[in-house]
Amino acid sequence: MSKPTDERLIAYLDGELGDDERAQIAHWLEQDADLRERAGELSESAALLRAAFDEVLREPVPERLMAAAHGPAAAGATLVDLAAAREQRAKPRTRERRWWVAPAAAAAIAGLIVGIGISRSVLPEQPAATNVTPAPSFVENLGGYYVHYTNADTSEGTSFDKLPPNFRVPDLKPWGLEFRGARFLMAEGHEAMQLLYSTDNKALGPVMVFVGNFSDGDRGVKFSTSGNVNVLSWRSHGHTYAITGTVNTNYLWNIHNDLAYQFDGI
Amino acid sequence: MPVAPRNKPDRQPLSGNEASVGSLPLSGRVAMSVSVSDQLIAVLPRMRRFARGLTGSAVEADDLVQAACERALTRAHQFQEGTRFDSWMFRIVQTIWIDQLRARDTRREEAEDEGVHLGTDEPGRRVEARLALEEVRNALQDLPPEQRAALMLVTVDGLSYKEAAEIAGVPVGTIMSRLARARVALQARLEAGGSLRRSTEDVKADG
Repeated sequence: MSKPTDERLIAYLDGELGDDERAQIAHWLEQDADLRERAGELSESAALLRAAFDEVLREPVPERLMAAAHGPAAAGATLVDLAAAREQRAKPRTRERRWWVAPAAAAAIAGLIVGIGISRSVLPEQPAATNVTPAPSFVENLGGYYVHYTNADTSEGTSFDKLPPNFRVPDLKPWGLEFRGARFLMAEGHEAMQLLYSTDNKALGPVMVFVGNFSDGDRGVKFSTSGNVNVLSWRSHGHTYAITGTVNTNYLWNIHNDLAYQFDGI
Repeated sequence: MPVAPRNKPDRQPLSGNEASVGSLPLSGRVAMSVSVSDQLIAVLPRMRRFARGLTGSAVEADDLVQAACERALTRAHQFQEGTRFDSWMFRIVQTIWIDQLRARDTRREEAEDEGVHLGTDEPGRRVEARLALEEVRNALQDLPPEQRAALMLVTVDGLSYKEAAEIAGVPVGTIMSRLARARVALQARLEAGGSLRRSTEDVKADG
């Protein structure tokens, strides 16, 4: 095989070649320092290009686009309309909902909230629940939430959003976890928040923290699993908390201790 | 510098409630609109990124995305079950953009609001990173439109050559050659502008 052209080298870097040609180019790269340098340059410029546009994904989506996505009926939606829609969505829901239905609704709700400028001050107080016991269902569903929002395919386009500067977020850096963003969602008719922490260490994997604005009494930590996702949940001071991740439970337990302390402070 | 090929995510066809859009009865217009709307909301950030790369302007990009949403809702019946909704939307965005390019003698205005906003107290390292990213965005705008679109679809959004070819309505070989020309040209521009001399770590600092 002759020396790969830029076109073939780029196709190689993009993972678009068959096994044979990929092996041939890999062999060329081992032998040819100039080709390695060229591949490095092309990889670097591609990485820069991705970085240059990734920030768009982290921007709040403008309200007018949210309205456009909802169609003509919502085109004239005002903040009041959106608040009303949010309140309507916040009504208690039936318990037979599957976990994968909730993310779609949550995405829409979170999108609405983000679209009008994410702020705690605009979130309505939730009416007290009178006929639901939401915590068990919410906690049971968390494994599904974790899988959904940490999967590159299913989570596409549902970027987590930055919070206002004055919003205090638990710091899990001592555990090697970086805060990536948050989503507001409704869990069984109550306001809840989903915090995403990630790490380069795949053994630790992403960790998600859930805070639900509901509780039917304090209780200690309960451990459960959903597939390969571990869930630690507890209730304290009128809130339901949970940590989910594929990492082992000892690690999650340590994070729980830290989180419980920080949440008390917050 | 790593030279291993990228591991593209193993993308799956639409499934579950996403695929149900196409299976809804056409008479259920309201239900269908709601379902398409949910999917539109989910793909909005990526549409905005794609449009930003095509137009080079935040305002024009959002106008383009808004027009695409409106077109998608009025033509929801044209969405084919079993195909990717995001690809369908990218195709609509690109089609509208090309129509706009043809309709007017496009003279790109200076970017209005997406210029570099540098705070006086911003650390120097971060300023450099932002400048580098701004150079990249400007370099992209110097490329021909079809190369720009190919770069945004494959290099930025991570679509396969086949998926990008379907969106662009051209053979895979055409996408491959457009990408190659675009990547080489971009790399040359960045090298000339000095962006590649700034470390990747600097760029990460911008995150």
